[in-house]
Amino acid sequence: MTRARQLVLGPATVALLAVLPLVVRRDDVLNFLFLVLLSITLAQSWNIVAGYAGQVNLGHAAFFGLGALTTRTLWSAGTPVLAGMAAGAVVAALFALVIGAAAFRLRGAYFAIGTLALGEILRITVGNVLAEVSTLPATTIAGYRLANRYYLALGLAAVAVLAVAVLGSSRLGLGMQAIREDEDAAEASGVGALKLKLLALVLSTALAGLAGGLFAYYHISYYPAHPFSPHWTFDSLLITFIGGVGTVHGPVLGALFYVFLREYLAIRWVDFHLLIFGALFVAIVLLLPGGLVEAVARLRAFTRRA
Amino acid sequence: MRAVSDVSFAVAEGELVGVMGPNGSGKTTLFNLIAGALRPDAGAIRLRDRNLAGRAPHRVCAEGIARTFQLVRPFAGLSALDNVLVGRLYGRARGARHAAVGEAERLLALVGLEGKAHLLPAHLTLIDRKRLELARALATAPRLLLLDEFMAGLNPAETESAMALIRRIQGEGVTLLMVEHIVWALMDLSRRLIVLSAGEKIADGPPDAVAADPLVIEVYLGGTRGSARRA
Repeated sequence: MTRARQLVLGPATVALLAVLPLVVRRDDVLNFLFLVLLSITLAQSWNIVAGYAGQVNLGHAAFFGLGALTTRTLWSAGTPVLAGMAAGAVVAALFALVIGAAAFRLRGAYFAIGTLALGEILRITVGNVLAEVSTLPATTIAGYRLANRYYLALGLAAVAVLAVAVLGSSRLGLGMQAIREDEDAAEASGVGALKLKLLALVLSTALAGLAGGLFAYYHISYYPAHPFSPHWTFDSLLITFIGGVGTVHGPVLGALFYVFLREYLAIRWVDFHLLIFGALFVAIVLLLPGGLVEAVARLRAFTRRA
Repeated sequence: MRAVSDVSFAVAEGELVGVMGPNGSGKTTLFNLIAGALRPDAGAIRLRDRNLAGRAPHRVCAEGIARTFQLVRPFAGLSALDNVLVGRLYGRARGARHAAVGEAERLLALVGLEGKAHLLPAHLTLIDRKRLELARALATAPRLLLLDEFMAGLNPAETESAMALIRRIQGEGVTLLMVEHIVWALMDLSRRLIVLSAGEKIADGPPDAVAADPLVIEVYLGGTRGSARRA
């Protein structure tokens, strides 16, 4: 897509989604779009560290969960929700720095294994320490407005997409992609790999922390361990791969497709949707490694030739 | 076990020095030590009186030493232009992105890749991928460029054009240190040869003198003692 078209299409989509709640007064539609927007943000955040910098994070849920936990705790204690979300982003990024500084010195699978372990340790710990369901106080429930959650999700998704668009065409983004392709060759070309990998991780996890905060703001009641569940990681991974890993539009297309299909399958074939997504993931990796973004590009090239 | 030990030499600015030696003599290890990919246990690596021994590869690159790899290692997912831009935006000459694109295009043209800026490395031939790797290394604005078997795998016509390219780069004022197995090309290009054997320097001088050196002949062709073992 050309830059000029992006500059028009992006804001136009956001504007359209912004007036939608005024026209469509149906909670199910807003809830569905909320889930799509939350998924865009989380998948896009995973895309930064895994898609651009090439460091596969298998414990992304840990950072989503930390954002949720921090925001919920602070917000329940009377802190404004936006301040709570900012704090959640900071906590998530600090945790990421600790694990990243240790794991990034080693090559290969250490980072993937380390983040996977971190995610599970946090999930089990939170599940044991905070076993009670977290429910909003009655006064907050009385004043609950779905539209507020929707607009916050829209703003956050727009920030996530914009951040990746800016990063992707920047010097830093190019350095990250060079590391993804060949870390030794990148180092030999002057790219300081450790610093850039940490930067990608901090950006990625801070965004995941914000998404977690949004989750805590949205749900009236949930188990505190739920946002630490590995399915948040694998949702992000699937969405990014289905849409197109390492691209700006991939997680957007992927989230729309994935959330729609998931909700549809959850109604039709309750327990089969994981099986279907597993097969879909394998098919995409083997047949269409560029995801939906590549499919669209191929289709365009085909229609132009015809 | 020592791959390289007690190898000392100096390269003057603008010089083109060839490094040769049998397989396993430590040529690539020597390059890895200079480029920072390996850390030396002892000794110094100096560029303009600054000791670079033990520094990370990207810092060595920022000081002005660039390299190509024995087996080409382009960034497969990036276009030829972006490959070169990485070197330009991160090497010794990190400039503004706007100027960097122009310079990257100039370097692509210099190595003979004009019109191929938007191709992925997979769509380039072997010699073109080697040209690309050379352009990426040059983009970092090196004072010293290490070429590791740049001509390996090329046919005679391609070797000739690679030699012309290396001469052009030397003409741009870049100091070159090159490992090469194609001895005639090395003899032709360089005024000075260093010969390694079993990790030690056994000869250092003009090509004619080195070629006539009995020790070098023994190492390459096998002397009376070595011939039975080598065969």
